[in-house]
Amino acid sequence: MQTTDHIMELAGHRQEDFSVCMGCKVCASVCTINDLDIDMNPQEFLLKLFMGEEIKADNPLVRYCTSCYRCASACPWQIRIPEVVRAVKESLGIEARFEKAFKKSLDIWGRVYEPFVVIMSAPDLLMGGYIKFLPKWMEYAGFHFPHKVKRIRTSHTLKKGSSSKEGRS
Amino acid sequence: MKILIIGGGISGISAAKVALAKKHDVTILECAEEPGGLMARIANCRVGFKTFLDEIVNDPRLTIIKQGKIASVDKKEGRFNVTLEDGQSLIADRVIIATGLSPYDPVEYKGKRVLTSLEYDQIIDQRNGELPADFNRVAFVLCVGSRSKEYPLCSSVCCSYSLREIKWTLQRAKPAITVFYNDLRYFGQEFYLEKVYRDAGVTFIRANSRYFDEDETGVNVRYFAEGKMKEERFDYVVLAIGLRPNPMLESLSKFFGFSLNEYKFVKEEEPLKTDVEGIYVSGGALEPMNIKDSILTGFGAGLRAVRNGDIGSEVMPVDERLYREEAPVIAPPEGAFDSCLFYIATDDPGARIFYEFVSSKFIAMARDLKRAGKNVYVVTRNVVAPSYDELEYEEARREGVIAIHLEEGETISFVDGKALINGPGREFVLPADRVISFDDYAHLFKDGEFLSLYRSEPQIRWNPTRWGRKKYHVGFIRHPRSERWEKREIFGAFGEMLLDAEEERALPQVNEERCSGCGSCKDACPQKAIEMEIREKVIAVFGPQVATGEPIAHIKEDTCVSCGLCASTCPSDVISYPEIPEKGNKHALECEIPQPK
Repeated sequence: MQTTDHIMELAGHRQEDFSVCMGCKVCASVCTINDLDIDMNPQEFLLKLFMGEEIKADNPLVRYCTSCYRCASACPWQIRIPEVVRAVKESLGIEARFEKAFKKSLDIWGRVYEPFVVIMSAPDLLMGGYIKFLPKWMEYAGFHFPHKVKRIRTSHTLKKGSSSKEGRS
Repeated sequence: MKILIIGGGISGISAAKVALAKKHDVTILECAEEPGGLMARIANCRVGFKTFLDEIVNDPRLTIIKQGKIASVDKKEGRFNVTLEDGQSLIADRVIIATGLSPYDPVEYKGKRVLTSLEYDQIIDQRNGELPADFNRVAFVLCVGSRSKEYPLCSSVCCSYSLREIKWTLQRAKPAITVFYNDLRYFGQEFYLEKVYRDAGVTFIRANSRYFDEDETGVNVRYFAEGKMKEERFDYVVLAIGLRPNPMLESLSKFFGFSLNEYKFVKEEEPLKTDVEGIYVSGGALEPMNIKDSILTGFGAGLRAVRNGDIGSEVMPVDERLYREEAPVIAPPEGAFDSCLFYIATDDPGARIFYEFVSSKFIAMARDLKRAGKNVYVVTRNVVAPSYDELEYEEARREGVIAIHLEEGETISFVDGKALINGPGREFVLPADRVISFDDYAHLFKDGEFLSLYRSEPQIRWNPTRWGRKKYHVGFIRHPRSERWEKREIFGAFGEMLLDAEEERALPQVNEERCSGCGSCKDACPQKAIEMEIREKVIAVFGPQVATGEPIAHIKEDTCVSCGLCASTCPSDVISYPEIPEKGNKHALECEIPQPK
C-alpha cells in the first residue's frame, strides 16, 4: 500500500521535512535526469505525494534517479528527495536485487557482508554481462564465515559504563 | 545626555538627527572608513545618503568615530563606559544599536559573469564608465541565500531592489531581461512598476535556478518551466542576495548584555528597545527592512532614547496629528466543508498592495483549518510574506497545508467543488468544497480613503510617516502589514514630529482674482492638498443681476507639504510662494550699502 505516511516512514524522515518545499524548482534545474531529455521536476513528484496521488513505477524519477543528491544540495531547504524516491521504490517492490541484498545484509549482520551481497545479486550480475569480473569477485569475497557484529546500543552501554565507574570509586 | 550610536548607516544617522534635535551629545561609532553602510553601496542612493548626512555633519555636538572597534564595555550606575581598541574611552547614557544588515556572499555560484546584485550595481553605475560590450541578455535570479534552511527569513528588499536595478539598467541600455522568481514581494507602487516592465518586455518566470554554467562568453542557465526543462544563454546573471543579520551583533550582545533571537537579530523586548535598560535598537539590526523603514525605526529609536524611557509599550503617547485607520477584518469561512482552497491572486495591480496583508491572514486561517483536520490548499500567484512573516508560511507548509504555485501561463477554474489547474506543463484537479479567493475581499479595500492615498505615494520619501503638515500616518493606512510594525511606526512618527517642529515652511498662495479655476494644480498635487471651491460671483451685464458659481483653487494648509508642483504647473502663474526674508542678512546688507552723498 502506498500512502504518504508509509513512504515517509520508509524514508526515515518526518513529513514536514519534505512538505516545507516552497516550489522554487531549483531541484529541477540541477537534476541529472533532465540531461536525458526527460522533463522531470522533483518538486512535482513531492507535490503528488502530498496530494495523495499514487506514484507509478514508470515515473522517470523512480526509474532513473541515481541518488546523486544534486537536488538536495541545491535545494534551499536541503530536502533529501533521493531518499523519498528510494522509499517509493521500496514500497513498489522494484528495488534492484543489489539494493535489496545490501539492506538485508545490514538487517542481518549490521554490516555489509560482501559474499552475501554478491550471491543475492547474482542473477542481475550474471545476466547483465558482468561475469567477466568473476575472478575479481572471488578475490573480494574470499571464503570466510560471517562473524556477527554486536550492535551498539548507546543508552544501554552508557548505563553499564556509569554503574561500573561508581562501583570502582 | 550622551548618546552612543553604533553603526553609521542610514538608520544610525536618522537616530542621530532626532537626538541632535533635542540638543544631546551624539557619538556615532562606525567600523568602516566612511559612514554609509549598505545604503551607500548602492550607487543611486549614495548621493541621497550624503545629503541626509550633510544636514547634521557640521553640528558641534556630533562626533563621528571612523574605523572604531569596541574593546570593552563597563556598566556603572546606568552609564556605559566604552573603551575602543585604540584606547579611546567614551561615556554613554544611552546606546542605539544600528548595525544594519550584512549581505550574503554566494561564493558557490559567483563568477565573472554570475554577479551578486551589489556587484552588478557597480557595472550599471554611470560613474564607472561605459557598460560592457556584450550586454544583450541579463537574468535576475531572486532568493539566493534567503528563505532557506540556513536562514529561513525572507530578506524583504531583494525583489524591490532587483526591480530598481531593472529600472536603472533600462535607463542606460535595452538588454533583454528575464527575472526568475519564487514570489514577487513588492510593496505599494512597485506593483505598478512591475506591470510597466512586464508591458515593456521584461520576462518574469516563476521558477528558480541554481544551474549556472559559465564560460568565457556567457552563462547557460537551466530552469524548469511550462513542464519542460529549458536552457537559455545569458551574458550576465545577477543573484539577488539575501540580507542576513550583521555578524558583529554577537560580539556586541556579549559586550552590552542584550540578547539575540534564534535568527541572530536583536530581540525586541519593547518596540525598538532591547531587554537591557538604556539600549535601543533600530534598522537592520531588528529584521531585514528597506531604507524607508530604516529611517522610520531610526527616528523611533532616537526618540525613545532621548525621551528618557518615559514612554513604554503600554502607554502609547497620543497626539492628534497621528492618523490611523482600523484594518478591515477578514473573517474565517463558516459552514461545513472538508477541503478548502485559498487563492491568492488578482489582476488589478492597485489591489496587489494588499497581498501582504491578505496573505498573512489567509495563511493564518489555512493553519487553523489544517489543525481542525481539513484538507487545505493554498494556490498562489504571489505570496507576499516578508521577513518574519515568511516563518508563518513555512510553518503552514510544514503542518501539511499544500502550497501550489501557479506559473505565469497557468489558469485555474472552479467548477462545482473542484478546482481545475490547467497549464502548458501540467493539468490537475483539486478538491475544493470551499474557495476563498483574494477577490472576495477586494471590496473591503475599495472604499477607504487610504487606497487612493497609498496609491499616490511618492516613491522616495525622507519622511516615512508624514503625510501632511499635521497628519502622520501609522499602522494599516501607512502600510498594510503585520501588527508588530504599528508601534514602531508610532515612535517613528513622534521622532519625525520632533524634527519637523523646527522646519520653517512657506505655503503657496493663490491670487484669487486671477485664478481661472482650470484645476490643473489639483491634478498635479501629489498630496491632494488642493480643492476646487465654488465662489459666488455676481454678474451684471445689462439687465438683471445674475449670481453664478465660479471655481477657484483652495490650498489645504494642513495637507500641503510645500513641494511647489502647483506653482510650476499653474498655466497662468496664479500660484506663488511668498518670499521669506533671510534672517539677519537684511541688517547686514543695510550696513554695507554706502550712503549717497
